[in-house]
Amino acid sequence: MTILSSENLILASEDDVMLARRKVRLLAETLGFDPFTVAAITTATSELCRNVCVHAVKGTARLEQIGSGGRTGIRLEVRDEGPGIADIDRVLSAGQRSVGSLGLGLSGSRRLADEFRIETIVGRGTVVTVVKWKRPA
Amino acid sequence: MPLQYYMEKLYLDEAEVESRRHFFEITADDLTRLAGLHSFAEKHTDDIVEDLYRLILGHPEAKKQFTEHATLVRVKQAQRDYFLGLFSGRCDLAYVQDRLRIGIAHERVGVPPKWYLGAYARYLRSIFDRIAVELPDAAQARAAYQSIEKLVAFDTALAMDTYIAAQLGALERHQAAIRELSTPIIRLYQQVLLLPLIGTIDTHRADQLMEAVLLKVVEEQAHVIIIDIAGVPLVDTKVADHLLKTTEAVRLLGAQTILSGISPIIAKTIVNLGMNISAMHTKSRLAEALELAFEIIGKRVTSIAKNHPAAAAEATEKS
Amino acid sequence: MSAHGSIPVLRIGSTLLASIQVELRDTIADAFQEDILQTIAKTGATGLVIDITGLEMVDSYVARVLTNTGRMATLMGTHAVVVGMRPVVAATLVRMGFRMEGVLTALNVDAGLALVSELIARRHGAGQ
Repeated sequence: MTILSSENLILASEDDVMLARRKVRLLAETLGFDPFTVAAITTATSELCRNVCVHAVKGTARLEQIGSGGRTGIRLEVRDEGPGIADIDRVLSAGQRSVGSLGLGLSGSRRLADEFRIETIVGRGTVVTVVKWKRPA
Repeated sequence: MPLQYYMEKLYLDEAEVESRRHFFEITADDLTRLAGLHSFAEKHTDDIVEDLYRLILGHPEAKKQFTEHATLVRVKQAQRDYFLGLFSGRCDLAYVQDRLRIGIAHERVGVPPKWYLGAYARYLRSIFDRIAVELPDAAQARAAYQSIEKLVAFDTALAMDTYIAAQLGALERHQAAIRELSTPIIRLYQQVLLLPLIGTIDTHRADQLMEAVLLKVVEEQAHVIIIDIAGVPLVDTKVADHLLKTTEAVRLLGAQTILSGISPIIAKTIVNLGMNISAMHTKSRLAEALELAFEIIGKRVTSIAKNHPAAAAEATEKS
Repeated sequence: MSAHGSIPVLRIGSTLLASIQVELRDTIADAFQEDILQTIAKTGATGLVIDITGLEMVDSYVARVLTNTGRMATLMGTHAVVVGMRPVVAATLVRMGFRMEGVLTALNVDAGLALVSELIARRHGAGQ
């Protein structure tokens, strides 16, 4: 897999979340993603970046254009040094009735992404990585 | 099909090329040796390609394939490029792309594998004879020949992959066409859409269907869509789940879904699976679904009175 | 007519029509909810149509604010309808697993207003 471009973003305020969304949308549209896929990755971005600002006060995001075997994709890694997530399995299987926004945001992002990875340590922080590939023609 | 298509289908990136080089045991020494033989190759390329064409023209069936002069000239040039390419000293992603382009050219002209695989074998024989003359030292000649053989084997694998990918591509296009034909969304009446589903619904198709349905509902500003599943052979939890998702999404748009064609088997499956489809309108017959759809948009179908020539079919507004 | 931030709210008879045209940030969404409820209280509006034709992305936060606004309005005796959701938004919400429960939907503003009228008529017709 190759990384074709990379950009780092700060996540500390609502404005940063909006900017992250815009950048992801722009990248997806530029790469020729279809509208449904654009919506999926943009929404996942919004969920993850908001989680950082709400639960961890601040963090960073790295937005990359990736390629693998002729496919084109977007990878977003969202990182914070917040409280970490104690019961990750429960949170990930959360439906709408979960307490707080964290659950649905994370499980929602996972459902929208093609690939999803999370590493979290209580008291240290969380890293969530999502990948969305362009649909083949 | 363009180069990009094959690159994608064969997962050809740097890592894959390196993996193949490794398995075909192509080393840096091999490549250096081959590059060192470039002038030898240039000297003999015309003769060697002529060897190949003598073989083709001497074979009645093969000859028929290449009788059109323009084709012959074009393919000859491609063969020259191919042959010299063996001595470029490269075996990287760019090399692979060059090889694919040649393969694509053959595919476009419709050359079946038996001819170009036979051609590779012909090259190897032609080269063997001439290498022995060029490199009198037996060990050197053997090393050179082996390097060439390894690279030709590598190229043969690519040629086969290209051929198979092209066949699969054609198959996929046919399947896509069939899918298109079997899922038209029909405007049955103002504000009423009909989607008669035929064939198996897998996740991929279900996703596409939902998107097509949503786009059509908004485009037509349809209040109701009837999805008829009488033509779907298997309805299991997954399919029922897809239909539920689609119904919910249609509701979010502000329209309603009626599921029709519910056979006894499907009804049993859904109830026994404990699925909750109370949110959906369901009917066993399409005709009933149609009546319900009209009701939803405030219309009713009535009979024309007999022996009344001037009467037109009237839709009575329900207040 | 009242407006907060960038969301204009029109009055059509006793129905409020709010058209969301811009990308919603969380604070605007929250303010919108508050504004609508206050306006309902002040005017005694019997209908609320929220037009989201202009939204190209609705995430779980905005979806929750919209749903809750609808539910809160209903508790206050106002028929609430969300209209004009885009196909990409609807698809994304169901794929995420988000259900907008307790909120009525309609295709567009006209359909929304018609639905509100029908519900008001039914309520009166049924007798209080």
